[in-house]
Amino acid sequence: MADDKKKKDKEPDMTFFHPDLLEAPKDGSAPYLKGYRCKKCGKLDFPKLSPCPLCWGEDFEMVPLSRKGKLYSFADIYIGQPGMNTPYIVGYIDLPEDIRIFAQLDGEVQTFKCDEDVELTTGPIRMNQDGLPIISYKFKKAN
Amino acid sequence: MKLQREVFIVGVGETVFGRRKEDYDALGREAAFKAIKDAKISRPDMIQSAYVGNAHNGIVTGQTIFKDLGMCGKTPIINVESACSAGAMAVHLAIKDVATGLTEISMGVGAENHTLRRQKGTAFTPAMNDIEAVHGGVMTGKYSMRATRYMYERGATIEDFAMITVKNRKHATHNPHALYRGEVSIEEVVNSRMIAYPMTLHQCCAISDGAGAVVVCSKEMVKKLGIEKPVKVAGSVVTSGPYHNGPRDITGDDITEMTTEMLYKESGVGPKEVNILELHDAFTIAELLYYECMQLCGKGEGLKFLRDGQSTYGGQCVVSPRGGMLAYGHPIGASGAAQIAANVKQLRGQCGGYQVEPIPKVAMSHVTGGGLSGTEHAACTMHMLVKGW
Ligand SMILES: [Zn+2]
Repeated sequence: MADDKKKKDKEPDMTFFHPDLLEAPKDGSAPYLKGYRCKKCGKLDFPKLSPCPLCWGEDFEMVPLSRKGKLYSFADIYIGQPGMNTPYIVGYIDLPEDIRIFAQLDGEVQTFKCDEDVELTTGPIRMNQDGLPIISYKFKKAN
Repeated sequence: MKLQREVFIVGVGETVFGRRKEDYDALGREAAFKAIKDAKISRPDMIQSAYVGNAHNGIVTGQTIFKDLGMCGKTPIINVESACSAGAMAVHLAIKDVATGLTEISMGVGAENHTLRRQKGTAFTPAMNDIEAVHGGVMTGKYSMRATRYMYERGATIEDFAMITVKNRKHATHNPHALYRGEVSIEEVVNSRMIAYPMTLHQCCAISDGAGAVVVCSKEMVKKLGIEKPVKVAGSVVTSGPYHNGPRDITGDDITEMTTEMLYKESGVGPKEVNILELHDAFTIAELLYYECMQLCGKGEGLKFLRDGQSTYGGQCVVSPRGGMLAYGHPIGASGAAQIAANVKQLRGQCGGYQVEPIPKVAMSHVTGGGLSGTEHAACTMHMLVKGW
């Protein structure tokens, strides 16, 4: 949160959300979201649920998800969460793997449309308790 | 839940809703005491179980409410939380106790004070361990995404949404319990402050405080108490929201559709027989899409249902006759119980100035609860009440 109540004698707060969900390779290659496929029933989940809610399987394999999807719907938010800068934009992105992602959208308000193509990017989604940005997955208009 | 024996509502109470200086416990006590007196109950030990819905006001809220009523030490008091569904869930649990024969008289209360505690100018948020909340998810955003998709698929306009606020506040014109009453124009609603496009300020339920209470009992006890207009509980259903991470139609609402289906089956009442309905109109778009989810009209006909005036006086079903959350505001733990209290008063014909005519015989209520990623809502609670005399 932006109100800089720095908690002393504490571990530094998170600046990356979340290594189990997002891979942002250090070599500059494209980031990707991590899906998890249940080894018992084959269900693909994002985010990872454990156990698998369909079959209670406990073993999963990581599957990189598509970087492009369709923007199902979105909202330009003018009154947001405490401590978040406004406006910001959120949306549901449907990936070809039949998975829906909720994410912030990079871009200007009043510019997005339902069913347009968007692609994965990364960037700050909010400030942490130390006043530093938390980096996570976001989507932007596809090139 | 199939009711194993008949259950009747014999007492209800609600406070004035608005920005209240009294804390939740004083509000809850006021509503509870009204309901107790309405039920002609003369001693605290006659109430054999009590449930209290609250979301944000802390721990042992029920015992705090009931202490001054002399019920602590006599009545088992259980506190219930499921965000906006809490108050209705408390009533459901009271009904369940009587239905199963565990008790003869039970009660459910919902109470909440937000204004003494909340940060102004911010939006309600799911818990921060929720993946959508971390990414900026707020309830207004979730509903605005529904509205945006609804506009895209159905050609609805922001003026259509605004009609819901205009209608519900008109219903509340002479309701002394409501916070916002009377005339508001479509232009005023549309031009009020933008919260999350296309939801403007007056399309969102206000932050308010209040309480509702409901006393239920067995058929035998109706006679003993000497109640002339008992309202029969035809059905009471609580569900949890199905989890899914795939694409789904958010111009519908899976949990409401499922709960409605169960309620119609349990009560033996059909959608065309419902005279009045209080639903979770926390945002205008919600009421609009629930017309279809609750089968008041067919899929794709909700907008026509609204535009044709089917959800107001003289229409097929008067939706939000007390004014709904758009007129009362939405103290989240309180609303579900207050809806039931308001419906009971309508069935008894006690709503001078805002009474639906002809006096309704069948009343339905609906509250969802909670933002939880991967679900439309974490919970849903619905009740069907019928004239029982
Ligand atoms: Zn599985």
